[in-house]
Amino acid sequence: MSDQSGTPRVRADLRPALGAAAALLATMAIAAALLALGGHSPAVAFGALARGAFGSWHNFISVTLVQATPLLLTGLAVALAFKARVWNIGAEGQLHAGALAGVAVAVSVPASSAFLLLPATLLAAAAAGALWASVPAAMKTRMGVGEVITTLLMNFVALFLAQFLVHGPLRESRGVFNQTDAIPAAAQLPTLIPGFRLHLGFLIGILIAVALWLYLARTPGGFRIRAVGASPRAAEVSGRFRTTPVIWRAFLVSGAIAGLAGWIQVSGITHRMYEGLSPGWGYTAIAVALLARLHPLAAVLTAIVFGALSAGGGAMQREAGVPDVWVRGIEALVILAVLTVDRVLQTIDRRAARGSPRAAHSRA
Amino acid sequence: MTAAVSLRGVTKRFGALRALDAVDFELAPGEIHGLLGENGAGKTTLARVVAGLLAPDAGRVQIGGREVRLGSAAEARALGVAMVHQHFSLVPRFTGFENVALFNAEAWTPRGGVRDDYRGRIEARAAELRLPVQLDVPVERMGVADRQRIEILKALMGETRVLLLDEPTAVLAPQEVEGLFAVLRRVAAAGTGIVLVAHKLDEVLAAAGRVTVLRRGRWVLTREAGGVTARELADAMVGVGGVAAGLPGGGSVLAGQEAPAPAIVAELKDVSAASVSGAGLRGVSLAVRRGEILGIAGVGGNGQRTLASVLAGLQAPDAGEAVLPAEAGWIPQERDGEGLVNDFTIAENVALAVHAKGAYRRGPWLDWAEVEEAAAALVGEMDVRSGAPGVAAGTLSGGNQQKMVAGREFLRSGKLLVAESPTRGLDVKATVAVRERITALAKHGDRAPGIVLISTDLDEILELSDRIAVMVRGRLIPVPPEDHNPAAIGELMLGAGSRGGVRHQADARDRPGARETAG
Repeated sequence: MSDQSGTPRVRADLRPALGAAAALLATMAIAAALLALGGHSPAVAFGALARGAFGSWHNFISVTLVQATPLLLTGLAVALAFKARVWNIGAEGQLHAGALAGVAVAVSVPASSAFLLLPATLLAAAAAGALWASVPAAMKTRMGVGEVITTLLMNFVALFLAQFLVHGPLRESRGVFNQTDAIPAAAQLPTLIPGFRLHLGFLIGILIAVALWLYLARTPGGFRIRAVGASPRAAEVSGRFRTTPVIWRAFLVSGAIAGLAGWIQVSGITHRMYEGLSPGWGYTAIAVALLARLHPLAAVLTAIVFGALSAGGGAMQREAGVPDVWVRGIEALVILAVLTVDRVLQTIDRRAARGSPRAAHSRA
Repeated sequence: MTAAVSLRGVTKRFGALRALDAVDFELAPGEIHGLLGENGAGKTTLARVVAGLLAPDAGRVQIGGREVRLGSAAEARALGVAMVHQHFSLVPRFTGFENVALFNAEAWTPRGGVRDDYRGRIEARAAELRLPVQLDVPVERMGVADRQRIEILKALMGETRVLLLDEPTAVLAPQEVEGLFAVLRRVAAAGTGIVLVAHKLDEVLAAAGRVTVLRRGRWVLTREAGGVTARELADAMVGVGGVAAGLPGGGSVLAGQEAPAPAIVAELKDVSAASVSGAGLRGVSLAVRRGEILGIAGVGGNGQRTLASVLAGLQAPDAGEAVLPAEAGWIPQERDGEGLVNDFTIAENVALAVHAKGAYRRGPWLDWAEVEEAAAALVGEMDVRSGAPGVAAGTLSGGNQQKMVAGREFLRSGKLLVAESPTRGLDVKATVAVRERITALAKHGDRAPGIVLISTDLDEILELSDRIAVMVRGRLIPVPPEDHNPAAIGELMLGAGSRGGVRHQADARDRPGARETAG
């Protein structure tokens, strides 16, 4: 076979990438039309957006990539879960659980060494995210409750829990704002490049992306996740393994990565936990994952795309007078465009591959 | 006399393929017209055009002498056309009565209830047709034959002038087929034209007045059933010089046992096992030797599924002893979604079976190079056409998919191979090819697996098996070699006989057919 790489999925197939590009283009076209209808100049708006996101090294590294970091981590969390056909809509809640756990450990453990404190906080955040995901996991595997609803509802529980904690038990000792105390320096992720805000968390995100890719493509465990996602029944009958542990694994690892996203944001950027830490990264993550076709490496790119959107949104508001909510609208449009393009591509594929009605007609 | 249905030059395209290519077809009132052809010949497409489910791209359709352009099933229904699909369209939780009423708008009151007198009309119609139906049992608790009778009654409640039946005999035991045909003859005698889509030649010849053969979307011939032989029809179906060797009905049986009996690879001793759906196993004993094919006949839903999953080691027996190899191959009934993953490549589908084996691992990694090598070897050995390790399984034809699954399951275990209806839904050529591969596997000498062939297709069982047993209501009845013929086995399939010392409860007699009783 021509495929010497050893990975089974590497067929010279650019269609997913083309599809993603087509979806983005379609989104931009629709957004441009809507902007024009709203009385804004699409050219001015997009120009401002692009400058805000890519206009300078500062904008790109300290704003776009910084914004991309939580999107990348939550996007990877969602991609892994979706790969196993676990529809985890709860990255937002898992992110909050992770942030809370990380902060709790950081402010309560009197360790001065970053080598001790950072790993401990990261571990706590991952564990809390996994714990948050374990509730929907148990409900799905034991009681057959659909995880779309449960993971979503767990988000609200996490948000309210965070609200309660920053108003009460974890409120800063000054007692002025509804936020936690600043975490000690030993619990802060170092920056990567002097003079820029970009921190180690971005690198962690890329490492996790590579690890997930290797895991899915090259290990038996990752293969099982893909098999369950492709066909749970075939996994049982032909794969001869139980799907429940695989589903649990998908939930837990997904939750853990989302949990890391929350703590990494606090540890690398805000240094405190407060209400409204996330503008909805856990939801945008779904768009990140879908646009990446659930491919972990592609998620690095799509996270940067959405990071740029969010970074450029501010500039668009300042320079072109286009409200920031447009960016949220664009994110939603991307999801719709990806799903539509997928369906269109499938139809084209089917027509091309079968070229015949075999399926429609095989019962004749 | 006006034809009940008349098609002139009807063409139906799907993409590049012409499912029907300028086909002429005529159905007279009161005749049973057999429609024959291989898979993909266009039989179902033709029926669906008449039923209004597909709009033809070209040609004329007349129903009852009137030219129609059917756009919907409702229109066809209003013209008196009804179709019984191969896969029934019944609501499982509804009773027989509710299902019949649901389908017939004249049963409804304006407020959505059912007319008080409709129950009586259904009973009267069933009596008139001498159709034994269970009106008060939920469909999900009925056997296949009972469900089919509900479908037929449902279709015949209105003024039905044309009745289309798509492969109605595929799910029935031979005796049940007789019962069905008796009903159809009565329906036809009352003036309804019946189109019987089928692929079993002898059955069609027995029931139909005329037969039409389609091949690759084209009309081939229409003859009086009395004036044509099964052989001629077979040739017409596959084209002259076809694959007569593979045609059902022949029946080379009994390879006989060689002097030194090969080792037993799997044994069940008085095994009972529950089932989530359908029948479980009740006191089943069997032994399979290396290199032999043990055929398990039976009407679907009599415990075959449970037997397969017990043999494959997916389910532990509740009682009794199962001596099984560590791993068994299993060619499951459904290819798509059970036997293989369409979106996976052939290599990935092979990996389903071997990903947990040490030989295909390198440290923590799955050794894809090794898997691909195995996949390539398998493609060659099993003659998987247009297959390669990197090709998506979904792009293969059904027969080639099944060959791949068979090869993979052999790779999984060289000891025991369970084949569950391995040729279901395949055309004649693919059927022959898959059967050849399965028999070839049994001839690997010392490396041959013992094969348990579970099939509802009696011809397949007779053709391939060295020994035969029949599965009825969770029990396994061995069939002595002298009874290796359709009539004797068919009788056992219905639970009528009591050979092999198996006791039969009274419930086996109360209803001919394969009712699946709960528990």
